[in-house]
Amino acid sequence: MNRPQLCSRRHFLHANGFGLGTVALASLLERDGLLAAPVKPESFGEIRYDLTPKKPHFEPRAKAMISLFMMGGPSQMDLFDPKPMLTKYDGQKFPGEIKYDNLAQASAKCFGSPWKFEKQGQCGMEISELLPNLSKVVDEITLIRSMTSGVSNHAQGLYAMNGGRITAGRPALGSWLTYGLGSETDELPAYMVLSHPGGLPTFQGEHFTNGWLPALFQGTLVRPTEPRILNLDPPASLAGAPQERQLALLKAFNEDHLSQHRGELDLQARISSYELAAKMQTAAKEALDISKEPDHVKKLYGVDNPITKDYATRCIIARRLVERGVRYVQVLNAGQSWDQHGSLITALPKNCEATDQPSAALISDLKQRGLLDTTIVHWGGEMGRLPVLQNDAGREKWGRDHNTYGFSMWVAGGGFKKGYVHGETDEFGHKAVIDEVKHFDYHATLLKLFGLDHSKLTYKRNGLAASLTDNQGAKVVDQLIA
Amino acid sequence: MRLAVIAMFCLASLTKAQDVTFFESKVLPVLKKRCFECHSHEQKIKGGLALDSKSGWEKGGESGPSIAPGRPEASLLIQAISHVEKDLKMPPKKMLPLAEIELLTEWVRQGAPDPRVGTKTTELAVDDAWEVEFQKRLDWWSLKPMRRSTSGSVDGFINASQMAAGLQMAPPASPEVLRRRLSFVLTGLPPLDMSDPSDYVETLLNSPHFGEHFARHWMDVVRYTDTYGYEWDNPAKGSHEYRDYLIRAFNDDIGFDQLLREHLAGDLLPKQRIHTKAQTNESLIGPMFYHMGEHRHGSSLMFNGIHQEMVNNKIDAFSKAFLATTVACARCHDHKLEAVSQHDYYALAAMFTTPRWTTRVIDAPGKNDVAIARLKELREAIRQDLATLWARPFESSKLQTWATAHTDALKGIGAPLATPADLPKLAATWQKSREAAQKTNLAFKPASLEKWVIEGDGFKHGETDDGTPLIALEGESVVARLLPSGWHSHALSPKLPGSLRMPPQHVVSGKFVSLNLAGGEFGGHLVVDDHAFQNETVAFYTNAEPQWKSFADAELKNGAQQVTVEFCTAALNPNFPPRTGLAKGLKNNDFGHDKRSWLSITGIVTHDAGGTPQDELDVFTGLYQTNAANDPWERIATWINAAVRHWCEQKAQSGDREVLDWLLANALLPNKAEPGSKLDQLVTEYRRVESTIAFPRTVNSMDEREVMPAKYPLNVRGNVDTTGELVAPASLKMLAGDRITSRLDLAESLLHPEHPLTARVYVNRVWQWIFGTGLVATPDDFGRLGDKPSHPELLDWLAREFIREGWSTKKLVRRLVMSQTFRQSSVVTDAARERDPANRLLHHYPTRRLEAEAIRDSLLVVSGRLDPQLYGRPILPYRTAEDDKKRLFTGPLDGHDRRSIYLQMSIMDPPKFLVGFNLPDLKLPTGRRDVTNVPSQALILLNDPFVNAMAKHWAGELMKQDDTNEETRLRDMFERTLGREPHASEVKRWLSALDDFGGDTPVAWERLAHAFFNAKEFIYYR
Repeated sequence: MNRPQLCSRRHFLHANGFGLGTVALASLLERDGLLAAPVKPESFGEIRYDLTPKKPHFEPRAKAMISLFMMGGPSQMDLFDPKPMLTKYDGQKFPGEIKYDNLAQASAKCFGSPWKFEKQGQCGMEISELLPNLSKVVDEITLIRSMTSGVSNHAQGLYAMNGGRITAGRPALGSWLTYGLGSETDELPAYMVLSHPGGLPTFQGEHFTNGWLPALFQGTLVRPTEPRILNLDPPASLAGAPQERQLALLKAFNEDHLSQHRGELDLQARISSYELAAKMQTAAKEALDISKEPDHVKKLYGVDNPITKDYATRCIIARRLVERGVRYVQVLNAGQSWDQHGSLITALPKNCEATDQPSAALISDLKQRGLLDTTIVHWGGEMGRLPVLQNDAGREKWGRDHNTYGFSMWVAGGGFKKGYVHGETDEFGHKAVIDEVKHFDYHATLLKLFGLDHSKLTYKRNGLAASLTDNQGAKVVDQLIA
Repeated sequence: MRLAVIAMFCLASLTKAQDVTFFESKVLPVLKKRCFECHSHEQKIKGGLALDSKSGWEKGGESGPSIAPGRPEASLLIQAISHVEKDLKMPPKKMLPLAEIELLTEWVRQGAPDPRVGTKTTELAVDDAWEVEFQKRLDWWSLKPMRRSTSGSVDGFINASQMAAGLQMAPPASPEVLRRRLSFVLTGLPPLDMSDPSDYVETLLNSPHFGEHFARHWMDVVRYTDTYGYEWDNPAKGSHEYRDYLIRAFNDDIGFDQLLREHLAGDLLPKQRIHTKAQTNESLIGPMFYHMGEHRHGSSLMFNGIHQEMVNNKIDAFSKAFLATTVACARCHDHKLEAVSQHDYYALAAMFTTPRWTTRVIDAPGKNDVAIARLKELREAIRQDLATLWARPFESSKLQTWATAHTDALKGIGAPLATPADLPKLAATWQKSREAAQKTNLAFKPASLEKWVIEGDGFKHGETDDGTPLIALEGESVVARLLPSGWHSHALSPKLPGSLRMPPQHVVSGKFVSLNLAGGEFGGHLVVDDHAFQNETVAFYTNAEPQWKSFADAELKNGAQQVTVEFCTAALNPNFPPRTGLAKGLKNNDFGHDKRSWLSITGIVTHDAGGTPQDELDVFTGLYQTNAANDPWERIATWINAAVRHWCEQKAQSGDREVLDWLLANALLPNKAEPGSKLDQLVTEYRRVESTIAFPRTVNSMDEREVMPAKYPLNVRGNVDTTGELVAPASLKMLAGDRITSRLDLAESLLHPEHPLTARVYVNRVWQWIFGTGLVATPDDFGRLGDKPSHPELLDWLAREFIREGWSTKKLVRRLVMSQTFRQSSVVTDAARERDPANRLLHHYPTRRLEAEAIRDSLLVVSGRLDPQLYGRPILPYRTAEDDKKRLFTGPLDGHDRRSIYLQMSIMDPPKFLVGFNLPDLKLPTGRRDVTNVPSQALILLNDPFVNAMAKHWAGELMKQDDTNEETRLRDMFERTLGREPHASEVKRWLSALDDFGGDTPVAWERLAHAFFNAKEFIYYR
């Protein structure tokens, strides 16, 4: 499937969108072909974008994806990538060259992981004691220990992992997927983002920007608390009959206007947008409400525990959205909470406690429901961390600096191998040395599982065919695929 | 052919014989066999690289020199043939045999001996590759001279184009449609006055709202922001001053030529433009244009890429805004499509990095002169009065009695009074310490301040003699203290700003420079690592007594060319307020305005070893270095009295001031004015005059005083870690700008009446603001990826007329809105739709959706809430969640009823209401906004609390008019929201809806009002 090659000039919503709930409805309108009408009379003949389901290039393995994004850079040698040599050299000078980010606090002293690793599951994957729940489901996941992206800073790391290149302003992965595949639901946005009560991650709207793709493909932000989507509910005084009467008046009035100004083709879309708003008010509310989930499910995720409650709730919502046909859901953390430049020994366990059980539960739950085969779950951040310690100001203040030259993340479901470890970093965990997976290789592989050829999923921009992997020489990593 | 190539070489006698043999027998055959196919004059010169001469590889291609003799690891050629980098593999398809790679590597390691000497013609030919391509690219419509038409008119050109297509204009628009259109196009507001004066256009052009509306257009073009984005979203200092400057300029119809000059080089203009009413130096505000958009925090020395990104932001904005050319594409390589080379990009970088990027005072020069002169007079009068008051000598016996009663004051300067009997012993100790200090101090050389620059009245009028009184601005004391000699920004008033700007460290002699510094209220210093003025190396002083601080020369790396330090009060610190947490004592919700910030600098020395100057203890000279009076108390009295006498006679010597300060601190000198006394009157008057001084107004601008022209390192393939040749300042070669080396010349070159781009680009923008689409539909790109003009002759004619009429925006606007082309209706015929669906021939006036600001402003106008006040600091937008670490606080729901242009444009979290209606991305220049029609906009207008609040307020206003009936009221609502009379059927429908909502009640009227806001017609005009 090649996307149409014309570039719309006017169907773009702003990259940051209205943020909350804005583009949500755009998807509904597009489904019904309503928004497709040009905005202005003179824009006839412009290309229409919509969210009707698209046929992929070849038979897909995956239909939906939930990305558990861990902004900040989770420490791979403390969670996923055991390094006995690093432990051996603990406290000694690192024998080699380190690529630092923050030279001010840099040190060359090796920092062996304070946590133990053990072999888990049938496959014997080694996982840190900080992740006891993940340890129970390792036979379902693929652990990649050789990710790289190239520039050791948050912005560039995020742009690489989320947008395919280290530069700003590009569409997010979720936008590409919805652009390429459309949506399976006509009542919910195709691409939804669940934010943390502590706020958005550092780069705010850039985490779910459509970049230069049409605004239709922008992520719809769901707030961590009610109202989960802004402006979805009318003020109390307007709710129900009063708003219905208002809409009736507007419909009649606008239709009159239309009859007198035949040239104004966007009006029909505008009339319908008000009707569709109502449709979403019901569907979105239902999908975001977990109160009717059975207790054993809530318990599985950890809704009953104050420490895991928030993340558990959002993981359940993510599952509910995927069940209802949403293509791509990303669950976000606040700020860059995995960015342990200091106090790693106390801070890292806290991050794990809040996310380990819900993340593992998501895998079990999807599997029980028969959804894991077609749903990809991703757990990872924009980078990893260095084997040497940063902030040598007493053990309790020790941390690790950024590292994009070799880090870990895991994926599960949707055609990824089960119980498989891919790639290796050097003996200290600084750089990927075996089976390096560059961010664009990972993206090419993901797209393949969705039935898309990364080199063919393109969008015409500035006279060039732009793509997620963007001529960087991406290769599908077939070893990752079951 | 091959013979001919070889014939160009001659052997250089300087190359050793065995090297020649090695090269000729081993290296050259490989080069010929493997490389010449694409890299020789006989065949091709791909990527600008020729390997058939020594100078060929020395100069290198687009990516810079290809061989670093002796360093294979640093040689692009070796990297390329080793296939280590994905995007640099040569030969591209098949790697060379290992033996050949090793051979070439070895050759480079040996220093790449190469006996070939390229003839002149060879070198020229290498340049020719780009030159030929460059010449080809100059053949483009927007680089060609503007046509000359002997006569013309907007309608004439438009009619002609329509006639050629068999089309004609739509009939004229009705007066009510035209009124609404004019009002939105010229002021961004719905018609406030429903009467239709004959000179409606003039009324609108003269409205102050015209300036607001056109300023907002221009703000899109220059990526206006109130914050700097990235992780901390720091405030962009003085952004609102720049916004207000634009509003004044558009209202006063300042010529675009002058605005361009000010934007690019306002700080360099020989004649600064002063706005007498605003009391501002407008020219100095202009260069804030450079410092809009995203600016990354942190130090270039610590993390590579920071100043380079800032430079890129500026080049991008400059070239798009004024030239509609995408120069930023040439950061990594010669432009793929335009006549812009990578060298051009770095030449602009050099020009833009020549000045300091820092804060300037934009108060009109001399604004405070009268007050300052008066304060100086008063201070002198107070000093004289005090001199009389203090002239009475202390008697030794009294001092003795006092000392007995105040033993806890007897330290420091008072110490000798504690043990008077020990004076001879102390004298010896003093002498020893003094000599030691004097010896130490030999290592410190007074700095030459020739190249140092000061900014602000605080330092301009803050140079003091030792002992100048600092008048207390409150409380009972007359004098707060006596100032040491030096510069004190607060010597007259702490509201006066001051900054001392050091030359780059490598220019200042010595390995260290040390300053004796005191300060408070966020006076401090900022280290600027190569222009990165959001550096977090910012310090704020809290010491009242000066302390020495040393600054060691930093190691220059990461492409940084210089490190400087600015010693500044808060208002002149380009990174104040810094990110939250860096300024101790500054609350997160304090945006740093109006600080009584001060700074003292009492010594500047340079030195090569560490350490700081020592106190030579001059204060005790009068006590120990004397033989007079054997009685210790007499001796002490003599010492003190001499110091006081010196001060009173204005003959103070080094050390005297410290004695007096000590006396003052211990209440030994009278420091209160008797009520009603002359002194009292003087102090009261001093305080009154001081209170009339306004806090300074400052913006981040440019300061090119006492700087050397920069040379900017070319980044090979755009990689900040690979720096190539140093490029000197110049403008674009395609604009014949090679000889232009200063920003002022750059500005003047763009304003040459035959410049092919400047006037065309601006005129096209204005056309778009008036008609919705430019004659060139891509206003920021007149290049090969942009659209071509729909009416090239019209564009050129307008551009020439624009120049002829003095670059006047208002005259241009008037010309456009008075045209029949503008005044036609929006009726489209089937034929027109068929033949010209995009309306490029303007066969009707397009139906246009209101811009985001106009929607919000209309809500305020219609509901009777708009506060028409102009100017001011940004108003925080309404937010549902706050983040105090990022200073994302919520503002009032109604934005204080002010127009949307005054809402804070935060990169991190811009006003959501406006974003919903296509406010552009604040980081990038946006010549043309997107217009979308998405349901979220319906949701906003239906459910957003601001919209509902406006409906409620309007209903309340309607209910106050009790002398009217329902129908009149309804008709009034139609007028206000839609600018027209309702049809009979509409009256019927809406009145019946009113009944449905509950009849003539406040709630029902509110529903009705709210329905009007949701009518499609409300957010459009025709």
